[in-house]
Amino acid sequence: MEGHQRNLYLYERFNARVLGVSRDDVTTLKYWAKGLGLTFPLLSNVTGFLGFYFHTQPDGKPIFARRTVVIDKSGVIRYVRDGSPEFKDILLFLKKLNQEGGKS
Amino acid sequence: MKKKIGIILCVLLVGVWLSGCATTQTVQKPYRISPQGTVIWEDEFEFAPPPLGWKLLLPEEGGDINIGFMKMDRGPFPSSTTFAYDEEPFGCSTQFEGREIEFFKRFLFNAVFQFQILERKKVQVVGGEGLAVTVEGKDPVKKEKVRAKVIFGKRGERVIGFYITQWRPLDGNYDLSAFEDFDKFVNSFKFLKKSFYETL
Repeated sequence: MEGHQRNLYLYERFNARVLGVSRDDVTTLKYWAKGLGLTFPLLSNVTGFLGFYFHTQPDGKPIFARRTVVIDKSGVIRYVRDGSPEFKDILLFLKKLNQEGGKS
Repeated sequence: MKKKIGIILCVLLVGVWLSGCATTQTVQKPYRISPQGTVIWEDEFEFAPPPLGWKLLLPEEGGDINIGFMKMDRGPFPSSTTFAYDEEPFGCSTQFEGREIEFFKRFLFNAVFQFQILERKKVQVVGGEGLAVTVEGKDPVKKEKVRAKVIFGKRGERVIGFYITQWRPLDGNYDLSAFEDFDKFVNSFKFLKKSFYETL
C-alpha cells in the first residue's frame, strides 16, 4: 500500500486511480490508512463477495489473497497479478494503457 | 482539463506480507570497480567502497535495501553494524519532515524502541538538499541499544535514504569510526543515470 501511495503522482500522470479492497471493517481500515498515511480509497468488503468476483477468496479463510487487477475505462480487466504488487510492472502497463487511451 | 480515461487499479490484499530480507548469499556480482577504485553498481550508482572489514550485503529481490555493508563488531551479542542505501525508505511523503515521521514509525520494527533524537540537521547529499537524523534507541527488556543515523535525500521526485545502525548491549560502547565510514560512503555516492521513475 505504501508503494501505491508513493506512486500516486505517477498514477495521476497515467490517468489511473487506485483502490484497495479488504475484508477488514471500515474502522480498522481508517486506522490502518491513517497509520500508513494513505490518501486513496480503501473499500471494506466484510462479506467478501468481491473476493468471489475476483477469485481472491481462499476457501474457509476470512481474508482475501493478494491480487492486483487493472480495469480499463470500458470495464475490461486488462492486468491480473497475484502476490505482492510489482510496482514497476504496473507502472509500465498503466503507461502503455494510457497511451492506448490517448489514441482512441 | 486533462482527459480522464478512468482506469481503475484495484488492489486486493489482506494479511501480513513478509518482505524478503537482505542476505549474504553468493550471486552474480552486480558491480565492477572503476580505474579510480570506486564501485560502479549495475551501471546505476557509483560510490567509494568502505574499508576492509565491511562485508557486502547482496539484496534479495523485493528486499528492503539496494546496497548494504555490515560487520560484526568486538563484544557480546548484538555487537554489529550495518549501513545501506535504500531506494524506497519506509513512508510515502515526498517532504523530508513528513518522511522522517513516517520512517521512524517502522524503522527497526519500532514497537519497543523509544528513539531519542541526538542530532537533526540539513545536509547536502547526492547533489541536493537532504536531512540527517541521528537517533539512539534502547530496549530495556532485551538489554540492547542501537545508534542509528538516517540521511534522507532526493532522486527526482522521490525520497531515498541512507542509514546506518549499530547494535550494542545496553552497557556497551559505540564505535563512532563506523559512522565516519558511513559518511564517506554517502558523500561519495552518485547516481549515474536517471531512475526508472524519472524515465516514465
